Amino acid sequence: MMTEADYYALFEAYAHGELAGPARANLEARLAADSVLALRYADFTEMTGTLRAYGQRQQARQQLRGIHAAMLAADAPEEIALPASKLTHSVNPMLHISRTERKLREFWSGHRATVGVAASVAVMAVFATLLGLDLWKTARTQPAMYGYQVLRREMDKLKRNQRALTQTIITQGPAPTPAVNTGKFSGTGFALTSEGYLVTSYHVIQGADSVLVEGHDKQRYHAEPVYSDLKHDLAILRITDKKFNGFGRLPYAIKSGQADLGERVYTLGYPREDVVYGEGSLSARSGFEGDTAFYQVSIPVNPGNSGGPLLDERGNLIGVVSGRQNDAQGAAFATKSSYLVRLVDSLDAAKPAAPYHLPRYGQLAGTGRPQQLKKLQDYVFVVKVFE
Amino acid sequence: MSRGNTTSSSLTPTDDALIAAIRGGDERALAHLYRLHWPMVSHFVLQNSGSEDDAQDVYQEGVMVFYEKVRDGSLELSCQIKTYLYAVCRRLWLKRLTSKSRFGVRLLDDEEHGPYLNTGAEEDLLAAEEQDRRFATMSEALNHLGEPCRSLLEGFYLLDKSMQDLTAEFGYTNADNAKNQKYKCLVRLKKLFFTHYKEESI
Repeated sequence: MMTEADYYALFEAYAHGELAGPARANLEARLAADSVLALRYADFTEMTGTLRAYGQRQQARQQLRGIHAAMLAADAPEEIALPASKLTHSVNPMLHISRTERKLREFWSGHRATVGVAASVAVMAVFATLLGLDLWKTARTQPAMYGYQVLRREMDKLKRNQRALTQTIITQGPAPTPAVNTGKFSGTGFALTSEGYLVTSYHVIQGADSVLVEGHDKQRYHAEPVYSDLKHDLAILRITDKKFNGFGRLPYAIKSGQADLGERVYTLGYPREDVVYGEGSLSARSGFEGDTAFYQVSIPVNPGNSGGPLLDERGNLIGVVSGRQNDAQGAAFATKSSYLVRLVDSLDAAKPAAPYHLPRYGQLAGTGRPQQLKKLQDYVFVVKVFE
Repeated sequence: MSRGNTTSSSLTPTDDALIAAIRGGDERALAHLYRLHWPMVSHFVLQNSGSEDDAQDVYQEGVMVFYEKVRDGSLELSCQIKTYLYAVCRRLWLKRLTSKSRFGVRLLDDEEHGPYLNTGAEEDLLAAEEQDRRFATMSEALNHLGEPCRSLLEGFYLLDKSMQDLTAEFGYTNADNAKNQKYKCLVRLKKLFFTHYKEESI
């Protein structure tokens, strides 16, 4: 009886073709007849085949590893001439990448999406912040009303004019006067009481460090803001100079009621160096976007007119010029004098250092317009603001 | 594009020459092939969140599939070697990624490699997986076999040493003794191998 090991010896000899003719024929006959033996032979061939293939694979793997190592080692891939082939050129040249660059590339390919998202978030955050800051600033500095223009005047133009003026003076000979520090903004103001209180628009003195008022006779006084009413665009100033000794009796009265539609009204103001007269009529009893604290008047006004007095035909003060509408023709706005009276009353109740004595009766009624203006212009001032 | 009708037209003469050389056992041809397509596969793997080492593993696996098919002579190439290798490696990497990731995987493909589904890579890979399993079982069985059987069989079948060398190495008195020992070892290996292998296939 043959053991399994003996059969294996036989099988191996058969597979290598080392069996002699009769023995070979004998085995083949037995393999054909005996299914157990045939199965055993099949197992044997499968196993040895697998063993050999396994060995081959390990060798091949080793070989590939060697090739890879050689490829990495050789910086310049050498041309390999294949026998009987036209492979004389490298079809796909290797990219030579430094170690750091490879690291960077790996990082980039791994985190591309994250980096992109982060970058876009950052960009959006930056722009949102900038935009937000800008909006916030504009909302703070200006009454956020589109189409509404406040009428204070920037003094850069003035400066330029003055420089041109000094230039002409120099060329004409006499020694130049020392340049006066002109303000950054200017507006108009007028006397409220004979004790030295003045009224102007709030936006004229907004952000002011110091305020200077200058009259028709070029007399200058320092003034300080006493009270301001942001909502109705009103500000009250007080002259602080020692040498100042009162305005005397004011020629106009302040009207505490409302004026009527269609009344002839006029104003005096300083949109430029000289005092300018403007005339029109009261066109509406509400202001920009229906604000009932304001009148609409049809007086042509310009930057610098702000804070100017609005008077009716009898010389009563009925308002304070404040602004105009950009996209409408001839629509200027003035704060109603009733708000001014109310403001003064409330201040009076707070017991100020110097009491207010509002003019009760005007002196202008019944006189002609030029006479009215002659009296009036002594009480209208340029308000210069230094920031 | 169906498989058969483009067999001759899509194969470039260089591809043919390469395959012939590799089948003839030319090591330099294999090295050349390896170098030729490495940048493509490496780029693909790196682009799809793999590392340099991953690329090397996948590429060697892919080349191995190709190489064994060529050595068998069972390779039916309906496209360029480049496309075939790309398809195999793509498939391998996709498998690794899906096993690693909880989410569905979408691969970024290079457009130039065209319809990789018609390359026959799928079937070849299935066969290669079967082969892998068989080799793994064999390696397992060899490990369980114990010395000196394991070294003897590895020496004869895996390292192609002659019976005379092995007789001297293991200190047998003559070659017949060694042969007998080898057959006994084979019997034991057979038991280990087929019990494992058949168990696994069921």
